[in-house]
Amino acid sequence: MRAWVEAEAEKCVYCGFCEPLCPTLYPGGHRGYGPRGRVNIAFNIVRGGKHTGETLKSIYSCLLCGACNLVCPAKIDIVGVIRASRALGG
Amino acid sequence: MLDPLQIIRLVEDNMRAHGLPFPAPRESLYSWAKPLNLPEKGSPMIYTGGLYQLTPYIVSVVESLSKTEDLRLTSMAFRASRLLSALGLSGLVVRPKADVASYIERVLRSIVELLREAGVKVAYAYEDDMYSGVILYDLGLDSLFKENAVKVYRALKSRGAEVIITVDPHTTHIMRSVYPKYVEGYDLKVKSYLEVLAETGFKVERRDRGDIVIHDPCLYARFESIIEQPRTLLGNAGFKVLEPRRSGRMTYCCGGPIEGLAPKIAKTIAKTRLSELAEKPGVIVTMCPICYANLKAVSDEKVEIEDIALLLRG
Repeated sequence: MRAWVEAEAEKCVYCGFCEPLCPTLYPGGHRGYGPRGRVNIAFNIVRGGKHTGETLKSIYSCLLCGACNLVCPAKIDIVGVIRASRALGG
Repeated sequence: MLDPLQIIRLVEDNMRAHGLPFPAPRESLYSWAKPLNLPEKGSPMIYTGGLYQLTPYIVSVVESLSKTEDLRLTSMAFRASRLLSALGLSGLVVRPKADVASYIERVLRSIVELLREAGVKVAYAYEDDMYSGVILYDLGLDSLFKENAVKVYRALKSRGAEVIITVDPHTTHIMRSVYPKYVEGYDLKVKSYLEVLAETGFKVERRDRGDIVIHDPCLYARFESIIEQPRTLLGNAGFKVLEPRRSGRMTYCCGGPIEGLAPKIAKTIAKTRLSELAEKPGVIVTMCPICYANLKAVSDEKVEIEDIALLLRG
């Protein structure tokens, strides 16, 4: 699962197409509450990074609604990455 | 936002103690069906997975958590909740919302009646209508989820289930698309009751029942391709179905999935969605108990929200 998260998240080219569709980005207050931020937090964590209180909030505030998956040009399974990141310990 | 790790611990504790993610009595899952005297074995079998029935408890928990989020008393509240749970007094912590509970009972009974009218006789496992584990999966509690999924599968099989009819989008998705990855030899066929009704060509002989605005739940629309069936059924029941700005696969979430983790964010999202839905005239129709509860929580008396089962039943 760890290798899958890493390979999937590595495809992110930071385009941000996912962000306008994410319901949590605006009320969350910063980009950690949007898909691009979450995917890159998940990527950093599987690469050995440590969670902070704020990165945990980013990962666990995702609705898993799948709106971002529809528009990602790199076809990243963003919902899958975030859920897997939770399963790997946040 | 609340501390996610504390919420996870609370869910884990309750699941291990009661087989449910919140402190609710086991009987609350199947008491709605007692007056119906359904056969307890056979197929197709209606499997609720408990999400509808847990909604009144979730509403109460979220109300309490929202207060602790404001007052920064979360840790204290969790410690108290865990202590009561350890003493077997967790029933004192959560009281279900009575109005929501009676609404949910009506919805579930209507679903069985709709199936009957369509000529589909269903069995129901009563005590074995166990919680599906949706929240465990969403929170990433995979080993606990798997342990529970195996128990649910075995219980349903022991009651003779081959085809199960689900009643909400979360349970439909988890039973159809997730369980096969976690339960070895999984062979249950899973259909939402909306799919079953649409397949039978179910029709209510009534016309001109007015406008309704449809709110697609994310899991039905994006993950299970259940988009046309509710529209066909509502159209056949005499309603004029209106589409909000974002609908079908491009629907907008109600905020419900994070109501227990981030109540303020969830509420902001629900308000946004409700204002979109209210742009069109007519009753707002939901197909998921979480959508219903979350939208209802931010609505006023000018907005009417109704579960699809009650609208179809008339």
